[in-house]
Amino acid sequence: MPDELSIEDVRKVAKLARLAVSDADAERYRAELAAVLGYVERLGEVDVAGVEPMAHVADSINVLRDDEPRIAYDPAVVEKLAPDAEGGFIRVPRVLGEGGGA
Amino acid sequence: MPPTVQHVRPIIGMEIHVELSTRAKVFAHAPSPACTLLEPAGANVMTDELVLALPGSLPVLNRRAVELSMLVGMALGCAIADLAVWDRKSYFYPDLPKAYQISQYADPICGPGVVEVPGLDEQGEIDLDADPTPIRITRAHLEEDAGKLVHDCAGGTGTGVDLNRAGTPLLEIVTEPDFVSAAQCVAFARELRRVCRFVGATLGVMQRGHMRFEPNINCELTLSDGRKVRTPIVEVKNLNSFRALAGAVDYELRAQPERYLEDGREMGVGAKSTRGWDDERMTTVAQRDKEDAHDYRYFPDPDLPPVVVDAAWRERVRAALCELPMSRLRRYVKDYGLALKQGEQLVEERPVCDLLDASVEAAAATGMDPNDAGRQAANLLLQAGARIANERAQETGDPVLPSDLGVNAPQIAALLAMRAEGAISADGVDTVFEALASGEHAGGDARLVAETLGVIIVRDEGQLETWCDEAIAAMPEIADDVRAGKVQAVGRLIGDVRKRSGGSADAKSVREMLLNKLGQG
Repeated sequence: MPDELSIEDVRKVAKLARLAVSDADAERYRAELAAVLGYVERLGEVDVAGVEPMAHVADSINVLRDDEPRIAYDPAVVEKLAPDAEGGFIRVPRVLGEGGGA
Repeated sequence: MPPTVQHVRPIIGMEIHVELSTRAKVFAHAPSPACTLLEPAGANVMTDELVLALPGSLPVLNRRAVELSMLVGMALGCAIADLAVWDRKSYFYPDLPKAYQISQYADPICGPGVVEVPGLDEQGEIDLDADPTPIRITRAHLEEDAGKLVHDCAGGTGTGVDLNRAGTPLLEIVTEPDFVSAAQCVAFARELRRVCRFVGATLGVMQRGHMRFEPNINCELTLSDGRKVRTPIVEVKNLNSFRALAGAVDYELRAQPERYLEDGREMGVGAKSTRGWDDERMTTVAQRDKEDAHDYRYFPDPDLPPVVVDAAWRERVRAALCELPMSRLRRYVKDYGLALKQGEQLVEERPVCDLLDASVEAAAATGMDPNDAGRQAANLLLQAGARIANERAQETGDPVLPSDLGVNAPQIAALLAMRAEGAISADGVDTVFEALASGEHAGGDARLVAETLGVIIVRDEGQLETWCDEAIAAMPEIADDVRAGKVQAVGRLIGDVRKRSGGSADAKSVREMLLNKLGQG
């Protein structure tokens, strides 16, 4: 329930989004997020019994492209776009582990 | 007194990641590294605006990635979905700059299926007479691979990111927990690799990470007090060799009963852990779970409309299926009478199997027994063929198969027919094969080449007799040995006659004639 949105909920969402949030901001966001969620909650009044969930808002399906590669970006351009680079690698602050998704 | 473990029943499931060999990436138009054996020319040479997550870039799905996924699904007996939906899996990690991976959550491209893993003997080798083990496939979904991180960048102060691999199509195949041993896991993994390579879905180079295995392992322990408990599930990440897969499963099956006796922890919510594999010490090692790693907040990707697969598309894709490796292995061993090892060697490479099958068909059309033709053609490909292919590979530095030598099925069938007629010797078959594989006689008619090379067996008794007499005259001591009863010495004389004939005299006829002449017939 939106009115029960807690400071902990705000902190968790901020953390998942990698946002640093001050105590004062956390309280403000708690109220604002509760209002947003309360607004969306009105959808709960609609009877959706028997309605299939949509996979996508557009009606289009099967938007596919042929397996034809195009020229890749020049690695020199990639280096320029990167905040920091070394020996062709994009350099980021040291991270641990193997990666999460794949 | 604390209970002891009386019996361990392993419960193992697997997730297998297969990099599909499309030329372009799955949602981007940048070239993909998994379609070639060549190493990329450096870091970050296969990127574009989507791979780099530049503002305004939008994904478009690669048709071939979808079709290869369907093809693998069909080969694994999976139901192909009518509707496949693309979801975002949120995670912050520099190996995917978008901060999410495009994957599939509720509506994957391939649904449940069953794979028959060959039965195994006690050494873990395939036993074609043993019952196969059905392994249930839960699903297979298509997603994008992540980039690679290099942790020793800048003297350890930073992490280097290479996005060449980011966006490579990755098919994740998930099984039910139907395995009961490391050997079974490996047999399945090998079979999966063969199948995926046969249908052309992946190059399957293990060292390049084209296939990565993640077993989920736990055990049901029967305790001395009669209780049955289940150990917590351990998922071992990112194993990229069969040896590592076997090692990790075996290690966990030994370690889990001990861990249970120490800490008493059982399977349950929050008890699952992730471990890595230490290839040198051959042990699994605890991995620090990334915080929030499981809070992926999947939701449908608004940039990608769903894929709807109708019957016509499904059948078009299905037409690219072929007879699968296990069925061929069974045929080669059971019908052709090949040794299991020979059969396994053949089914490693589909082009070699296809050449073999086409040669048998061509030989059968000339009236030869197909099983005889199969055995002889297989031997030819695995011996002369493999030898020449190896030599050529050494010369060029590129892999060469016996099917890459330019010798075609009609030529092989003609060789087998000549051999069956007794027109050429076994050596003659190899000589002509080698000539057909070399530039000079490439594409030539096998019979004409055999005549040109003078390896057609001479049936002219008079000529044979002259050569035998000449050989006996040239080696009188050996001839005396044979006369005195040392029959095995005749080999030297046979060799001499064959040399005089330029290889065109049949060893068996020569032997008979020599022994007759020397009073040993």
